[in-house]
Amino acid sequence: MAFVRPVHEAENRLARFNGEKAAILAEVERRVVEDNLHRARRGGEASLEYVLNDVAFQEIRRLERSARSSADKKRLGEWRDLARRLGGMTTEEKRRHLERLVEEYAGDVCGNFRPGVYRFATRVLPAVLGGILSPRSLTDGSFGDPSGKIVVDGPLDELREAADRGTLVVVPTHLSNMDSVVLGWSLYIAGLPPCTYGAGKNLFSNPFVSFFMHNLGAYRVDRRIGHALYKDVLKTYSQVLLERGYHQLFFPGGTRSRPGSVEKKVKLGLLSTALAAFQTNIAEAKPHGRIYIVPATINYAITLEAETLIADFLAEEGKHRYIIEDDEFSRLGRIADFSRRVLAMESSLVIRYGAPLDPLGNRVDPEGESIDPRGHRVDPATYVTGPDGKVEHDPQRDAEYTRALGEELVRAYRRLTVFMPTHMVARAIWERLAAAAGTRDPFRLLRAGEGEAPVDGVREDVARARAALVARGDAGVLAERYQTMRPGDVVDEALVMFRGYHTRPVVERVGERLIARDLRLLFYYQNRTAHIGTGVWS
Amino acid sequence: MVVIGIVGAGEWGTSLADVVARRGKPALLWSDSAEIAKEINEKHTNERHLPGVALAPPVRATADLGELAAAAQLLLLAVRSPRVEATVRALGDVVSGRHVVVHAIGSQTHAGRVSELVRRETPVKRVGVVAGPALAKDLRAGRPCAIVAASPFEGVTALVRQAVEATPILRVYRSSDLTGVELASALTGAYTVAFGLADGIGLGTGPRAVLLCRALAEAARLGVASGGRERTFSGLAGLGNLVVRASSEDSDDYQLGFKLGKGETPARRETEGTRAAQALVPQARALGVRAPILEGLTAVVEGGVAVRDAVTRLMESHAEEE
Repeated sequence: MAFVRPVHEAENRLARFNGEKAAILAEVERRVVEDNLHRARRGGEASLEYVLNDVAFQEIRRLERSARSSADKKRLGEWRDLARRLGGMTTEEKRRHLERLVEEYAGDVCGNFRPGVYRFATRVLPAVLGGILSPRSLTDGSFGDPSGKIVVDGPLDELREAADRGTLVVVPTHLSNMDSVVLGWSLYIAGLPPCTYGAGKNLFSNPFVSFFMHNLGAYRVDRRIGHALYKDVLKTYSQVLLERGYHQLFFPGGTRSRPGSVEKKVKLGLLSTALAAFQTNIAEAKPHGRIYIVPATINYAITLEAETLIADFLAEEGKHRYIIEDDEFSRLGRIADFSRRVLAMESSLVIRYGAPLDPLGNRVDPEGESIDPRGHRVDPATYVTGPDGKVEHDPQRDAEYTRALGEELVRAYRRLTVFMPTHMVARAIWERLAAAAGTRDPFRLLRAGEGEAPVDGVREDVARARAALVARGDAGVLAERYQTMRPGDVVDEALVMFRGYHTRPVVERVGERLIARDLRLLFYYQNRTAHIGTGVWS
Repeated sequence: MVVIGIVGAGEWGTSLADVVARRGKPALLWSDSAEIAKEINEKHTNERHLPGVALAPPVRATADLGELAAAAQLLLLAVRSPRVEATVRALGDVVSGRHVVVHAIGSQTHAGRVSELVRRETPVKRVGVVAGPALAKDLRAGRPCAIVAASPFEGVTALVRQAVEATPILRVYRSSDLTGVELASALTGAYTVAFGLADGIGLGTGPRAVLLCRALAEAARLGVASGGRERTFSGLAGLGNLVVRASSEDSDDYQLGFKLGKGETPARRETEGTRAAQALVPQARALGVRAPILEGLTAVVEGGVAVRDAVTRLMESHAEEE
């Protein structure tokens, strides 16, 4: 099936990645080693002995918990040996160990880009998937199929131009392991350039996805490793890629939203590399040195891993299971089922891109210039340079700027959220259950097992909330297809979606009552609206 | 050397410029009156705001905000609170990302804290506040004073310190609690009206002490709920400010409260303190924070409740664990 894509297409800078890979790795290794050696002069916690001991300690702890293979056990022995010998090592020996570890971690992180795989992925794969996804032609900046199954929208012309002027850092919300596949596809459909991105190493356990990730510029992030040296390597790798103009994608929420809500806060580590790279570009007077942060929301009517994620959130062990390796995403049959059932529904997936921000959190106008809150242009370099135009290094200042950028992203996510009938109906029922029970404590509400609400009441609630969201403008809106639909039809659409995929229907209609059969999933889907507050529902 | 640009050539701003300049640090004042700017530059006096005081010659002034912004990276906002919004908007046209704006406004606008106003109306991101018990007359008399400079940016507080610290007269402490210091400073003005009321009806020293303690507790509750730190309210911007303002019988806030306490009906009831109270009562309600003193105070100022009734209500309200 042919896709109608924008005439103008951003340059695929990843095409040159393999040629630069060795230089990128060498640069990353040089910077991380030099930074650590420089800091080590301060002694104390920055000393090489401390840094290496921290690496060994955390690796030993990780492997003691998880080592199963003989290779892992051998590695555990090597770490223990290193920890034992550290005290007696000379400075030169410690330096060599540092270099070896940095080389090893950088090699593990580093991605790949195979043009052949990219051609296959972008030409053949969409055609195969086309039967399911059926995209429609471009109209008014939005894409999808004629009946609106999948929609990609936002200021796409502006983003394509930004991709020419500078480097994009695409930072979407994160609900599902399908996100990277879906977002990559949406970039292609929208004529936006492919991005390199930091994917959790656990994703590489799915052979199908792993193949594409390996070969489409994904770099591996092992979230089980928490020591500072590994984070240094990751951040430096990200920074060097940005400095070299590679568009990048990462999920600043860090992990899939377990409760299903929109991200309330974001992790700042990788995000901070945008400002760091921007400063290098200023110092080196690069002509296309601007870096644009592009918020995006990925909005599903039904989430592939909803059952596992909400169970994980609710379970006490949820506090510990940061990485789930045995969810629906690891089962190809479940993905196929999800694709067949869910993606066949109308408007079941909306990918909404927002206008770009600069690394300071300023909005950017259509010409790619930063603007202040009043809409006046401001040169982003002035935030980090002195009167002589030279960059003034101040890590604490930069951390504060990045924190503010993170807050701006959270506001953007709320604004860009597209609710589906499933979210609205779940919230309306949940509110009624809470009012009837006289409590908002989810655990008390969930104990009931099932719950019910009158169809008429839920219809009214959905209609009222839909109008209130449009009036507010800062908390997201119901998907366009459902904006003018009769409230009763919105409820009916939700019921279809709710019985399409999950083990049992989330909500069913019995006469004039809506029966919530799975309160945990009802809680999950209503959580998408959690940032709205209770005002519009009561 | 860091040049401090002081936006506002009122009593406090001019006194600060004088103290700073006498320590050999450059200070440039901005006044919206070209006459005042000319008088400062030519006669080294500011008779309208500091009658009879000879300013140190290095104190310079301008009536051009653009000139001020070109000369100074650090801008200290020291205008009276009714003029804050217009002045900040005007600043927005002349500053860039390189500027640092610190304010000394002990009040709150209806649209929020002054730092929020600066961030909304200008491209400036590095904002801060200075507050504390440093009265203009103490600065001029060379008495030891201290203020706290607060900003989440360490570079901002360091810059303020570099620019205005003038030991042994003026000592500058640092804090990262911008929200707390701003709220503590704004609330102090409101509670000063309450002290005037208490003195007006002749409550005496015991009840005055109760008012001081409960006002601090209320301020801390509101501050913490707003994102500030409790400790800030027992520091220079909170307790320090409150002690000194509660004793400043010539301030507008105190005088308004005192007259109301005496049963007078002053026509003008808008002061920095009442503006702060009126802005913060809705904030306290929205955050679900009990603020009986602020509520009682605004009720009295707005004429809805007699002073004695407000005191009775306060004393009859539920006393929680301290």
